Amino acid sequence: MSRIVVTGMGIVCSMGCGTDQVFSALQAGVPCVGTVRHLQTSHTELPVGEVAMSNEEMILMLDLPSDMVITRTPLLGMVAFQQAIKQAGLTDATRTVFVNGTTVGGMEKSEQYYLEFFEGKHTEYIGAHDCGAGTEQIGRLFGHLDSMLTISTACSSATNSIIVGANMIRSGRAKAAIVGGTESLSKFHLNGFNSLMILDGAPCKPFDRDRNGLNLGEGAAYLVIEEEESALERGARPICLLSGYGNACDAFHQTATSPEGEGAYLAMTGALKQAGIAPSDIDYINAHGTGTGNNDQCESVAIKRVFGSDVPCFSSTKAFTGHTTSAAGSVEAVISILSLMNNYIPANLNFSNPIEETGLLPVTKGRNDVRLNHVMSNSFGFGGNDSSCIFSKLKI
Amino acid sequence: MAVYIQSAAQISIQSPLCDDWFTNPILREGRYFRCEEPDFKQFVDPMSARRMGRLLKRALASAKSALVGYDAPLDAIVTGTGLGCIETTEKFLLAMLKEGEQALPPSHFMQSTHNTIGSLVAQHLKCHGYNNTFTHRGASFDCALQDALMQFDLGNISSALVCANDEMTELYFQLFDQIGYWKREEVKAEMFHNAQTEGSFAGEVSATFLLGKEKTNNTLCRLDGQVLMYEPGEARVREAIDQLLKQGGIGWSDIDAVVCGYNAAKSNDEVYGRMVNSLFPDVAQIYYKHLFGESFAASAMGYYVAAVCLKRGEIPAHLLFKGQPVTPKHILVYNHFQNKDHSVALLSC
Repeated sequence: MSRIVVTGMGIVCSMGCGTDQVFSALQAGVPCVGTVRHLQTSHTELPVGEVAMSNEEMILMLDLPSDMVITRTPLLGMVAFQQAIKQAGLTDATRTVFVNGTTVGGMEKSEQYYLEFFEGKHTEYIGAHDCGAGTEQIGRLFGHLDSMLTISTACSSATNSIIVGANMIRSGRAKAAIVGGTESLSKFHLNGFNSLMILDGAPCKPFDRDRNGLNLGEGAAYLVIEEEESALERGARPICLLSGYGNACDAFHQTATSPEGEGAYLAMTGALKQAGIAPSDIDYINAHGTGTGNNDQCESVAIKRVFGSDVPCFSSTKAFTGHTTSAAGSVEAVISILSLMNNYIPANLNFSNPIEETGLLPVTKGRNDVRLNHVMSNSFGFGGNDSSCIFSKLKI
Repeated sequence: MAVYIQSAAQISIQSPLCDDWFTNPILREGRYFRCEEPDFKQFVDPMSARRMGRLLKRALASAKSALVGYDAPLDAIVTGTGLGCIETTEKFLLAMLKEGEQALPPSHFMQSTHNTIGSLVAQHLKCHGYNNTFTHRGASFDCALQDALMQFDLGNISSALVCANDEMTELYFQLFDQIGYWKREEVKAEMFHNAQTEGSFAGEVSATFLLGKEKTNNTLCRLDGQVLMYEPGEARVREAIDQLLKQGGIGWSDIDAVVCGYNAAKSNDEVYGRMVNSLFPDVAQIYYKHLFGESFAASAMGYYVAAVCLKRGEIPAHLLFKGQPVTPKHILVYNHFQNKDHSVALLSC
């Protein structure tokens, strides 16, 4: 079967706009969560990984009509989408599909205007609420795509978009796919996570014994993935391989993970199997590592089940970005690919002591003394929608 | 590779969990109808049911009904939902807007993510297999179906549940009313022919299909293939149908009927009229939204209707939009949403 290559990447998150800014921030090793600026919430005490640009700044940057009916989620998506297309040098949309992950969709405006909608005000935003509306706005930036799809599996949405795009290529339904996710902060899910009591009032401490919850973030990231031959044929320059991916369901609880991390275990082993490599071939895991008691414990157990006593270097980069929920899978796919191509392992910030039951030690200072051939990126969602991807160098 | 629809179950504005609509359809006149609900007790214990919104109960009931008599492993659950559990989403949103950002109960938030539905079904069926949720407006189910078919094509699975679930709350009905989704006046059966005004009438759908690789006595029909397209011209649709016919090993003249999503809204219906009349000028057309109403999940009922017609070898007169009743062997299911997302699928007996 033909290999699937990554030919373009785009990203915007609290670390910055574009892969250069993001990689510099990773190397700087400073958390990029802080006080909320754009989101109108009373929870100013909660640190968030907000994107620096306002909606108006993004509209200007994207050269969109200033009165365009658009919400923050597709705006973030457009910023990342254009970068990815540009890097890939994609000019022809024939047999090219767009698979987008989001859960918040247009909620950022719905929560502002909801009560006024019923009085007949701001009704232009009613049709912008559902997840698919934003996908279409983003996709239309680029020619006549063959199809567009929207996925919403909470915090694994973007990873599942990568998987679906790849399967569309492998099954002959597309020759190229723009895949990933976008999510803006909203009062709705900030309060939702807060009501579940899983937000840390301080910067999050993934995999630490004394971790106290997650910080929410926002952002968008997309990959352009293609059949290797057709990419080479059109003169594209492949960056790396999407060598394997797995999707499984924990089937345990709506918001908690099973103690044995069954879904996570199945997602990781599924990805390894598809990549045709052994656990020992993985050089770095960009973990889901949200900083909640439940996730980090169960992910650690699942990692130990997959890798045994030989756990590879791993880190969670959530302290840099906050948890960008539906975008996390592609934000971290881009981070994983930057790690792979630069032979650099980003730090798991704010870590002091290991979780007692598992004893796993993440990489706590950025490392450039490594050679990376295969990296794994994990994303686990509410409801146990667990997915994993593996990116590999083109030549090993 | 052949994929079969082994069974299907629906909860809608027709009688639930049965095919009474085939022989005794309920013909509605109005603007907004909610599901005819089954007795949920046989599917969910009352303790768990109390914590679930209506849509979750419907999703479980239709999934479990589709699996009655099935005891082989289930490899995948793929869901299409345009809005997810909008009732619980609204409850959380309204509490936040009216009472402020403090002391909000988490239960409604927990059910507000779209994948709550598919993951709850997985929990109840203890299915650790492939699980995904598509939320692409009126093509959500079509996207989910394509995903399941890809998993079969790639040899990853031998069985799958493909589900469509959308509810329409009173508040959301009002919101969609503001932007012209519904007709101003009561919708009547005759408005489905030669629609002169915009807007449809609202229904709700929870439907589940069990797909498998082996044909059995209970199999409803074969699913030869499906193609999704964005804003296709006629040439692209023609190319997609050519591909499906090739997959089904048949020619254009073998198509016995085309299922179309006529919904009594002028601009929606004109797309079907133009495209299908041009591609298949002499072929019977089946409609179904006059029975099931319009919703983001409604397209699933097009497949459902086609599958039951193929199984029974009959197209009842009340489903015929155009043409003569035939004994169908091959039916195309055509769906479009706002003339943007189009899907065409071939089903055969």
